[in-house]
This record gives sequence, structure tokens and C-alpha cells, in this order.
Amino acid sequence: MASDDSLPTLKILLIGPSGAGKSALLTRYCDDEFDPESSTATIGIDFKIKKLAVRGKAYRLTLFDTAGQERFRTLSTSFYRGAHGVLLVYDISSRASFLTMERWFDEAEANTVEGIALYLVGAKLDKAESSREVSPEEGQALADAHGARFCEASAKTRVNVRRPFVDIVDQIVQTLGLLSGAGRTPGTVAVSGGGGGGYLSSCPC
Amino acid sequence: MDSLGDTLWDVVICGTGLQQSLLALSLSRSSKSILHIDPNNYYGGADAAFSLQEAESWASSIAAGTDNDRGTFKSASTTKPDGNTGLSFPRAYSLALSPQLIHARSKLLSQLVSSRAYRQVEFLAVGSFFIFKPSTSSGQKPSLVRIPSTREDVFSTTAIPTKAKRGLMKFLKFVLNYDSEQRLATWQPYADGPLTDFLQWEFKMDAELQTYILTLTLSLDGLITTRDGLSTIYRHLTSMGVFGPGFAAVYPKWGGISEIAQVACRAGAVGGAVYMLATGIQEIETSGDNIELRLTSGDKVKTRLLVRNDENAEVGNGVSRLAAVVGSPLKPLFEALVEGAPLPAVAVISFPAGSLLTTAGKAYGYPVYVFAHSSDTGECPVGQSVLYLTTLTTPDSKEILTQSLQLLSEVIDADHLPPSLFQLYHEHGRGSVASRPDGSTFNFPDASLSLLFDDSTLEPVHEAWKQVMGETAVDTDYMTFPDREGIMDVEDMYD
Ligand SMILES: Nc1nc2c(ncn2[C@@H]2O[C@H](COP(=O)(O)OP(=O)(O)OP(=O)(O)O)[C@@H](O)[C@H]2O)c(=O)[nH]1
Ligand SMILES: [Mg+2]
Repeated sequence: MASDDSLPTLKILLIGPSGAGKSALLTRYCDDEFDPESSTATIGIDFKIKKLAVRGKAYRLTLFDTAGQERFRTLSTSFYRGAHGVLLVYDISSRASFLTMERWFDEAEANTVEGIALYLVGAKLDKAESSREVSPEEGQALADAHGARFCEASAKTRVNVRRPFVDIVDQIVQTLGLLSGAGRTPGTVAVSGGGGGGYLSSCPC
Repeated sequence: MDSLGDTLWDVVICGTGLQQSLLALSLSRSSKSILHIDPNNYYGGADAAFSLQEAESWASSIAAGTDNDRGTFKSASTTKPDGNTGLSFPRAYSLALSPQLIHARSKLLSQLVSSRAYRQVEFLAVGSFFIFKPSTSSGQKPSLVRIPSTREDVFSTTAIPTKAKRGLMKFLKFVLNYDSEQRLATWQPYADGPLTDFLQWEFKMDAELQTYILTLTLSLDGLITTRDGLSTIYRHLTSMGVFGPGFAAVYPKWGGISEIAQVACRAGAVGGAVYMLATGIQEIETSGDNIELRLTSGDKVKTRLLVRNDENAEVGNGVSRLAAVVGSPLKPLFEALVEGAPLPAVAVISFPAGSLLTTAGKAYGYPVYVFAHSSDTGECPVGQSVLYLTTLTTPDSKEILTQSLQLLSEVIDADHLPPSLFQLYHEHGRGSVASRPDGSTFNFPDASLSLLFDDSTLEPVHEAWKQVMGETAVDTDYMTFPDREGIMDVEDMYD
């Protein structure tokens, strides 16, 4: 694991309305756990790291899970900086959650660089039979309108859980510019080293 | 968490200025329960950075008196020339309210490194310092003279006569050991007087050379004491080259201190603190050892400690600031002068006291400092720059800043510099300067007006941290954290 630090790091954010299933999706993906009784809304920002190999190359994903609740919606402009991809999550069994997605796309687009990977996820696919309120066609159309990719998934049944993560990483690494574009600018200074210097350090007298 | 009121919070932090945000960072690995609120709907308080739209609405809220800053800010206004076409979309800009340079040797940087927060901030090099020289009666045009920044520079510059160079070198060597016993004896008699007196009497520097030294201190009134002046120059000299050749200070990309505040708050949020913006305190009641707060959101919360800015501090005259977006990259200001040096994103220009005239024809008695920021700061689109002008607030200050901007555009780029595309003017008052613990409330001082980040800003944060941690405080742990690693034992393969 010593070399993990040197793996290319991708920053991916999960955003979307409260209750959509962001935390459940992430927990299923990272820990393979699902708690149907869970009713804890995310209040700050949760953060997980996962190593993922795509096309034979390993990446270190930093996955940020955010709060959908309006009162805790306090993402700063700086939060989006350097992000390579954003997963926008809604609940296919809630029309209301789908209707807010335009606003979430607006926020993501306003705060990120052009060409960032966007991915729309319709969560809780297991509820399709019983209580679907948004058709896959509607989801796909919204994604298309924003140049995003799309899939439906269920954290409960594991169906498609890995797909959004793998696909978005694939999209990021294929769009070479995204990797370098979000990286550091040439003029950037490393402040973690240092210790030398001094105005007259070369003065022999 | 169904209701905020169910918890007895260890601390409620109000405001997201640098000190409050660093406090959140310092507590981010503790088990303390933290509610962090801000009456503003943006991060950073007096150190915020704004898009053009945000700048406009901020200025009108100041004008209407509907801001949350109890008169700290005054006379805010924005201007856009009519029919201008060069401006990009509002979000392409990030104008800092109170830009500050950070010396490489600042404790702020070492705390950001030891707390691992630095990984989320990009730092840029601050390059040359220039002095504005007005036109002379002998027909000399106004110009900018660069202050030599290295020893080689001092030797090779033609701007300083040889004799003066010797005095300058002697002074610089003096500063590097200024706290030795022998040197202390030399400057002690001047300690509380103006630095310029000391330079004149002990080093025989002429007025011009004195302004070189004074400019490095960015002293707002030009009257910095010998004591403070020497310590600032010492820090400047010893910061030179620490993070790379050719520069002594850095500036955080995307709006300066605001960016650090946001990153610190994010560390707080990741650590479990609850964040609510656009939420202030409506009412405070003390009940026993605890404080009960009614928030503007209607929530009632209980806390052991409340940390905020001093609401009772009086606000006096401070500084006037003008931020101007100009439609030119101002390339000559941002050259790397030493081999291997990073391309600087910030340049400093000073109009020494006496170099400007008020409309009444009197010499203006204070310096004007200009920070020129290239588009590398992320504060404006490529092809443009932002100029931040600062001077002490006087009845003339607004007009003086406008005049400086005009003069600057003439010297930098006489033919090409278009009029500024956007301007934000405001006056920032001087509030309290010391922290004030008061029972279950800890009052931070108001944001510093200094143009150089002052390490004393960090002390109240440490004090507040001790008060929150109580007996569990271990000083050596302060702001020292390992990298935050998530669970990463599962490797996922996909082809
Ligand atoms: N049936 C079913 N329920 C799910 C699924 N995913 C999440 N849930 C349930 O939906 C509720 C909300 O899920 P969360 O993951 O906490 O929602 P969130 O998007 O993180 O919400 P915030 O943190 O408030 O933004 C929980 O009770 C979950 O158990 C799923 O795939 N199927
Ligand atoms: Mg959640």
C-alpha cells in the first residue's frame, strides 16, 4: 500500500436532494453495506477513499458525500475546485426529488470547469415495480440535456452500484484534459517543503 | 439529528472569517460537538471573495444597511462603464475583499501543512515590489522602479547609486541579526519611533532608499516603528527562497484568505461539525454554565461555549480599498527574475507618501499600495488582471485611489490599457484588535487590516481552542493531524 500516495487521485462529488440515496449508494459501493432502516441525513461532508483500477490502471478515488438538506447545504465555491466528476443522484420513486435536479445541475455547472464529468443516477431502482415516479427515459433526457451520462441503480439490491463510479472514472481518464486540467497550475508553489533560503544566504561574509 | 436543539453543543462558532474557520479546523479531529453558523450566505466574513454578482449585492446590502457586519464596512459601491464588452460572466471573477500576502515563514503556512489542510489550497508566488515615481519638473515621465529582491539584484541594479548600495547592504546584513545583543543596543533608542528615522540616522539612507525599505513593510501609514519594521523586514528576508528561488511570500489561489477559510471549514465539516450559512444569532441567554441561543432560523440551541466576533467593539476609520478588473494581462509586472523561479501571480506597487496630490493640491500624506493579480490567481479570466488598491481612510482616500489607478494605467501600459471593466470600492473600519474571553463567550478580534498576514492573528485561535478543549487540551497536538485516510482496503478491478 506504500505506493498508494503516488496513484493519480480523482476527486468525485455526490450531490442531490436529501433522501435521494447518495450515502446509501456510497456505503454500498465502498463497504458493501446497506441499512434499510437508516434515516440519518448527512449533515456535513462525508469522505471516503477507494482504489479503483480501470483499463488496467489504478486510481485513488476521493469520494465526497454531501448533505442534501437545504439547511445544511453549505458547500463553498472552493469545495468544487479540482473536482474531476460529479454524481448527481435522485430517487426514481420521488417525482419531487427529480424536479429539483435542474437546480443541482445548475449549481454543479456554475462551480466547475467546462468539460467536467457529470453523471446522473436514478437511485432506488428496486422500487421500480412498486412505486416508480420517474421513467428511465425522463432521466436519460435530462442527462442528455446536460451532456451527462445516466444509469439507474439500487443500493438495496446492489444492481448497478459500481457502474456510475466505474463509468465516471472511465470518462474522466478518457478525457485526458480533465485529469491535467484540474491539476495544479505551473506557477503553484509547494509549501510543504522549504526550510532553506534567506536573502543573503549566499553571502560569504 | 432531528433537531439542532436536542444537542448540548460543546461550541457554537458564529462567523466564518479566518479565525473562526481555523478554530473549526483545529477542532476537526476532536470529539467535540460543533455547530458552525454564519449570518452571511457566503464563507470568509471580512476576508470573503466575491463573484461580480456577489460583489454587487454585497455593496448594495452595505449601502442599504442590511449587511451583518455592524458598520464594519462603509461606502461600498460597484461601477461598470456603460456598454462595456470586455467583461466575462460574473462567476469568472473572484474579488478578494481584503487581500493579504503571506510570508513563507508565516506560522499560518506551517499550521496548514501540519494540519494537512494545505493539500486543498494552491499557493502562488508573490513577485516583484515596485515603487511609483512621479513625473519630474525636468520632464522625466512617471515610471515604476523595481525594488531589488536578491543580493545579486542589489549589485546589478542601476536604479541605486553605488554609495547608497553599500548603505543598503549594510542595513540588510544588520537586519539578519537584528535581535543580537550588540545590534539591539543600536536600534533600541529608535524602537518606538518611525523606522525611517532609524534608516536615516544610522544608515544615512536618503528619502528614496527609505521608501524602498518602507514598501517592503507595507506599512499603511508609512510610520511603522523601528521595532515592528525590523521584525517585518527580517521576516521578509528570511522568507526569501524558502519555497523556491526569487520570492518571499505567497498568495492562495482563487481569492486569498477566503480560500483558506473555506478549506478550514470543509475540514470542520468532514470532521462532523454542522454547518449552516445565512443563519445568525437573534438572542442570547445564559442559563447556568451554558448559553441558550435563538438563531435567525428559528432554532433554539444550547451550548457550553459561544465563539464569535466582538459585537460590542467600536469601529473607527480603517482602510479604503478599490478593486479594479482591467482588460490587460499586465505581463511586465509578472516576470520571473531569478532562474528556476515560479512565475509570480502577484506584484506589489507602492505610491510612497507624498507622491500623490489631492484635488486641493496638497501632497497626500499616506502611501497607497497596489496588489496586481494576474489571471493565474483565478480571480479573473485570462487576458485580464485585478488591481487592488489600499490606503488609509481619509476624506481624500477615494479620490486618491481613483487617481492612483489612473496613473498606474498610464505607466504600465500607456497606450493599451483599457479603462477598468469593473470596480468595487469600499471602506473597511478598524474594530477590536484583541480577543476578549467573557465567561461562556469568547470574542475574537475583528479581521486585521494589514496587507501582510500577521501571525498574531493565530494566537486568539489557539486560545479559543484551549477553552473548548479544556483539560483535554494537549498543546503539542494543536493543528497537527495525520492525513485523513478513508477506508481503502478494497481494490476494485474493472476492464
Ligand atoms: N429501497 C431502497 N431504499 C434506499 C436505497 N438507497 C437509499 N435508500 C433509503 O433511502 C433513505 C435515504 O437514503 P440516504 O442515502 O441517507 O439519502 P441521502 O441522499 O444521503 O440524503 P442526505 O444525506 O440527506 O442528503 C434511507 O432510508 C435509505 O435506506 C435503495 O437503493 N433502495
Ligand atoms: Mg446522505
